[in-house]
This record gives sequence, C-alpha cells and structure tokens, in this order.
Amino acid sequence: MTTIPARLAKATRTSLGSQESKRRVLSLYREWYRSAPEICALYALSESPAQVRHAIRARFERNRNVTDQRAIDVLLIKSHQDFQETMNCWKQTDHVLGILLEPQDRPQKTFLQKFYEGRDEEAVIPAASGIH
Amino acid sequence: MSFLTACKQSSALLRNTGAPSIACLARSLSTEAPKTATETPAKASDTGDLTVQPTRDVLVADVISGAPNELRHRAVRIYQPTRNTMQSGSGKSERWRIDWDILPGAGRWENPLMGYASSADYVQGTRITFRSKEDAIHFAEKQGWDYYVQQQTVKRIPPKNYAENYVYKPHTLRIMRTK
Repeated sequence: MTTIPARLAKATRTSLGSQESKRRVLSLYREWYRSAPEICALYALSESPAQVRHAIRARFERNRNVTDQRAIDVLLIKSHQDFQETMNCWKQTDHVLGILLEPQDRPQKTFLQKFYEGRDEEAVIPAASGIH
Repeated sequence: MSFLTACKQSSALLRNTGAPSIACLARSLSTEAPKTATETPAKASDTGDLTVQPTRDVLVADVISGAPNELRHRAVRIYQPTRNTMQSGSGKSERWRIDWDILPGAGRWENPLMGYASSADYVQGTRITFRSKEDAIHFAEKQGWDYYVQQQTVKRIPPKNYAENYVYKPHTLRIMRTK
C-alpha cells in the first residue's frame, strides 16, 4: 500500500481569535468522529466505533478548560498530526490500542487506599507509562 | 461546571488584586492568559507595603509539554550553585539552577540483594540550568510549577597582599597567608 505523504497534511497557522479556534477544534473533532469506523477497519480493531469515539471524546474533554490561545493552537497542531498519522496508517496497531484508546487518567484512589500503600502524596506516583 | 466557573471568577478576582503570591496561586486555577499583556510599571499602593506587580503574559506550557501532571504537586528550588570546593576556580557558579527537592522517604527502596538505592522519583537526577534568575522563574511559571528562590550567597573575597604578612598586629595570632 502506497501512502501519499501530503495526504491530510495541513499548514501550521495561528488562530485569529477565540471564535476561530473554537471552530477549528470543532471541525477537528468532527474529522476524528467521522473517521472512527475507518480507524476500526484500518487497524482491524476489536473495539466498536462507539468505543473509539468515546476515547476521542475523552481526549478532547481533557483540554476543555484550556483558554490560552497559543496553547490551543499547539494542541490543534498536535492532534491533527496524530490524526494524519492514524489515517495514513503510519501507526502500528499497538500505537492505536495503547496510545489512542488507553485511558490516560490514572484511577482515582481514596485517601485510605493511598495510606495503606504508604504513599499518600500525589507527587511520588511514578510517571512511567503503564504503571498505575 | 459551576465549581469551575467559581474558580475562574475567583482567579479573575485575585488577578485584579495583583498580589504576586496570590497571582501565582490563581494561575494554577485558570489557564487563561491575562488580557492586559502590557508591561505597566510597578507602582506602590497607598499603604506603601504592597507593590503592584505587572501582569505578564505567560504561555501555559504544562498542557502541551507532555510532562507528567504529578510535577505540579512539587515545589522546585531556584538557586545559584556554590563554587566547587575541589577547584580554585569559580566556574559555573554564575548560573541559576532549578532542581527538585528529595521526597522524604517516598518512592525509594533498597535492593534486597545488592543494597543499591533505587528510586521512583524520576526527577531526582534532573536539574535545569539557566543564565539568569528571571529565566528560571519564567520557565517555572510557564510550566505551572510552584517555585521558591533561594537567596544567593554573598561571595566574600578577602583582600590579600604580600606586605600584610609582615604587619605588626598585637594580641592576635599571626597567620601566614601563603595562598
């Protein structure tokens, strides 16, 4: 399968205002949302498109409260790069399963659970991926 | 959602007061860039106790840097390293560093076989060097880290000359300075 490097490529640009950045975020979200069945077919996932959409929604919800214009622009660029790499099949199946679909938030632990483990400080949780 | 809006309102309120320590706290609640990015000169208030710091336009880099969120729970130290005592030169002591304090008894263990010290603290060997204190503070603010600036030590360079070795000083122990 040949890939065209320029497929789905977009030039980097800055948004003019909050309205435009909102519009760009929504259009990017729609692109992700519509391509969920294609992602499932492309990587032969056992997950349903609804689950993929749920993971995509969670990614966007994580950055919902970001209001800094420059940060939003960078997040848009990164997400679109991710989209391009996913749709051009430049990723492996494990990238999609582990990076795209895996929940990124750590499970919430109660105070007592942390106390029994002997570490009740948030700062000492190791940041290595895959360790919960 | 109402809690979020309350936080935003309170942070906006705090930013208007302009106290530097509170503004630092408010920044962690809201990622909104300040509307007025102009550098207004610091003016003393009526009481003379507080000086209004100009609000600076700092990019919120912690959402795009990919650094772990746990770093936000730790305070960093901004300091100027002391001279290396094993060498007579004072190289690299003009720089400013950021490093993280060692966590007290957390995330560390001893290897049961060899006794090696292991750690889950991923920044224990990390330090970042800057040319100036302002650069370091700017970086810490950008990353959303709590920081404190350690007071720099005043370097005392004693005056020395050769003739001082032979000056008569009553009631004092004479120290021959050879270096």
